[in-house]
Amino acid sequence: MNSNSETKIYIFYCVNAFDQGVFSPPRTKVAYFPQDLKMACSSMIKDIYLLKAFECGADGVMVVGCPAGKCKRVDGNVRAAKRVARVQQLLDEIGLGGKRLVYSTADDMETAAADLVKQLGELGPRK
Amino acid sequence: MIVAKQKPIAEIKEMLRPYDKVLILGCGTCVKTCFAGGEDEVATLGAALRLAFSQDGKTIHTEELTVERQCEDAFIQEAAQAVSRNEAVLSLACGAGVQAMARRFAGASLLPGVNTTFIGVLEKPGLFTEECSGCGDCELDTFGGICPVTRCSKRLLNGPCGGSKNGKCEVSPDIDCAWQLIIDRLTLLGQAGNLKRYIPAKDWRLSLSGGPRRLVREDHVI
Repeated sequence: MNSNSETKIYIFYCVNAFDQGVFSPPRTKVAYFPQDLKMACSSMIKDIYLLKAFECGADGVMVVGCPAGKCKRVDGNVRAAKRVARVQQLLDEIGLGGKRLVYSTADDMETAAADLVKQLGELGPRK
Repeated sequence: MIVAKQKPIAEIKEMLRPYDKVLILGCGTCVKTCFAGGEDEVATLGAALRLAFSQDGKTIHTEELTVERQCEDAFIQEAAQAVSRNEAVLSLACGAGVQAMARRFAGASLLPGVNTTFIGVLEKPGLFTEECSGCGDCELDTFGGICPVTRCSKRLLNGPCGGSKNGKCEVSPDIDCAWQLIIDRLTLLGQAGNLKRYIPAKDWRLSLSGGPRRLVREDHVI
């Protein structure tokens, strides 16, 4: 990652979090989103998927779930958020930085993406 | 089941530093259930270690495999070829599994990836609690199926200490008073008379105090 324009962010999203299941990536111009990975529920996210995204060269990863209380599968979004929190700790242990990974609800995705891009700029390039 | 907890990445990294090719070997029984060493944890740890070493500019080659049980020779054999392809084995099994592997593969460097913690149960999703100390002399029939040796913080065998409050142990409000549970359960079962029975001092020679234990079943020895 040499400049913001090359910031690469992978997004895992719940298909139920968007109208008609139609997802469009955040509108920020300082990052690009080479991988949008659709899930039937955000709770399907696993630690390994998130780490693999980083192994594949992601500078940052977002997991996008349904707004609080609106998960079709009751508490899938809660589970996803908890799983993300655990992997954030693991990324800190690894030395990559837990702040490279965020969980966001669909209605807050634009803000979360902008914050993530800013955070990645502060963290600097990945080794 | 045997409950274990994965070691911190920094500790595992330090153990693996001399090696370039490592087999991460999971165990598909107890440690899988407690999220410490099954297929998912093997995959996650593999990726975490590759990322962690790449932070130091080192490339580590990991092979990943999970066998049904590392404490049984019949299952361990499945790992033979993978063991021979690597310089070290990071075992995510309990201490018994790691030692069974070391016995089976005398020339392989066996490294523990988890800390074996206790014999316990899944009390509710995400919560594992210690239930048995393997003391070698089970008296659960007397105590209504609740073990004071393990679950009473003071290991009292003849009634509560008097320090519990609202059914919680004085050691920590997170710990149920085992004796409260025993009394409640014996009362429910109509066996409160058991509480009058004097339990003599425990013979700890049957536990670890007697040295490493053995169990021989002559009918299975050939």
